[in-house]
Amino acid sequence: MGATAELFAGSRDHAGGDERGDRAIMDGIVLSDASGRVVLINATAEALLGIKAFQALGKQMAALGGHSELQLALAIGIQGLVDDDQPHVQVVELHHSQRDLMFVRVATSIVLDHASHPSGHMAVIQDVTEVHKSDELKNRYLSIVAHELRTPLTGIKTFSTLMAKGRLGPLTDRQREVAESIREQSLRLEHQIDKLVNLGQIDKAEYGRDRETFPVADFAATLLGPFEQAARDRSIQLGMVVEVEGGLLLHADRTDLRRACQALVENAIKFTGEGGSVEVSIRRNADGSVRLGVRDTGIGIDSRYHRRIFEKFFQVEDPLTRHHGGAGLGLFVAQGIVRSHGSSIQVSSKLGAGADFSFTLPLAAPAAGGAGERPD
Amino acid sequence: MERTILIIEDEKLIIVSTQMVLEAAGFHVESATSGEEGIQKARSSAPDLILLDIMMPGIDGWETLNRLKRDTATAEIPVIIFTAREHSRGHQKSSEMGAAEYFRKPFEPDELIELVEKHVSQRG
Repeated sequence: MGATAELFAGSRDHAGGDERGDRAIMDGIVLSDASGRVVLINATAEALLGIKAFQALGKQMAALGGHSELQLALAIGIQGLVDDDQPHVQVVELHHSQRDLMFVRVATSIVLDHASHPSGHMAVIQDVTEVHKSDELKNRYLSIVAHELRTPLTGIKTFSTLMAKGRLGPLTDRQREVAESIREQSLRLEHQIDKLVNLGQIDKAEYGRDRETFPVADFAATLLGPFEQAARDRSIQLGMVVEVEGGLLLHADRTDLRRACQALVENAIKFTGEGGSVEVSIRRNADGSVRLGVRDTGIGIDSRYHRRIFEKFFQVEDPLTRHHGGAGLGLFVAQGIVRSHGSSIQVSSKLGAGADFSFTLPLAAPAAGGAGERPD
Repeated sequence: MERTILIIEDEKLIIVSTQMVLEAAGFHVESATSGEEGIQKARSSAPDLILLDIMMPGIDGWETLNRLKRDTATAEIPVIIFTAREHSRGHQKSSEMGAAEYFRKPFEPDELIELVEKHVSQRG
């Protein structure tokens, strides 16, 4: 630890000042030992936290004093790490005395010693204000583009749906087929627009924020629409099994949950050959919670990739599957969404023997107005 | 007695297509292409429910909702927000501001009818 401390002590001369004024050029670092006490804090971290090294050393990282929003983030970071060896990342809004509104990214991770035992925590604190501002601009732009695309799409979807369902008058078989096809294309377009907007929000990692209570059955009903054409084209049987009593409710971010499920379905179809099948199931577990699963009869996933497939941009480097394309983001986003709901996507799969992706959510209590049947 | 829905939406295409869906389900439909016009019509025709878009020139949907809820003449009319934009915490915000539902476009026509039926009949 001595050599490391010297390395960071050297940074004291560089951090905190350059020709452009008070912009720090290094990341802030706070290191704690196995008992949670701070053993190292560099100049940038001092500046961002508003606390001097001599005040911080020896104190608990989770209770440092200094800038309270950041201090809270450090505590949350440590708590958020409980059973995960991925860094816990937060973006925190700070009201710093010397700057206007700042955005700071806090990545907390467990430090392992040479024998791979946990020996403390490290928090890396980065000023991401500029990036955040440009992200905000990008997202606002994407949101406007989405609106411009969704508006005519609403007309197409509404008119074609009305027509296909015979609400505008009787149709010949051929006319109905065409109307249904137009409707399906509109569902695919809708899905693509959602993916586009979603791409813009990837780095925010702010999933699951817009919660509502809704019936499980309603959620299931329109999940597969965008994929029916693709499945038919390759003779893949696409089905849904809902074994949950009508009226049972979920409390979740419905849009994000839909995105997560659709990412799983999209993957399942992508990696399943002609004549295979993909089944979405929604069932109750013994403890009353709801299990959402997507099972396919496709090429399967070797167990050594079972963790990595959820990493950003990761795609299995296998000559057999390489031509499948895509950006390698679907599972990353889906896992982020499911995690934000307090759960985690599990995968069960063997190479050559299909795959089963699933996650569990608790049921919501019915609203006071009695929206549904009681679970018992 | 025939139930009236007021659509406040600046895109004529959306008005036409949504009107078709609602009329097929037996509703009488009125429309306004701006927040200000919508508020006036809400006051004068006392609709049974309002479908309100967010992105509009002039005052936007949130401000329109605000004014509708502050005016005793229109405060009791259930409002369903329907929007093609992403809004962070859209559900929470619309429910805090007094809207009955927050609904995304494009939508399933049958789902729209279900929601409208649900809130129109709750008025008693």
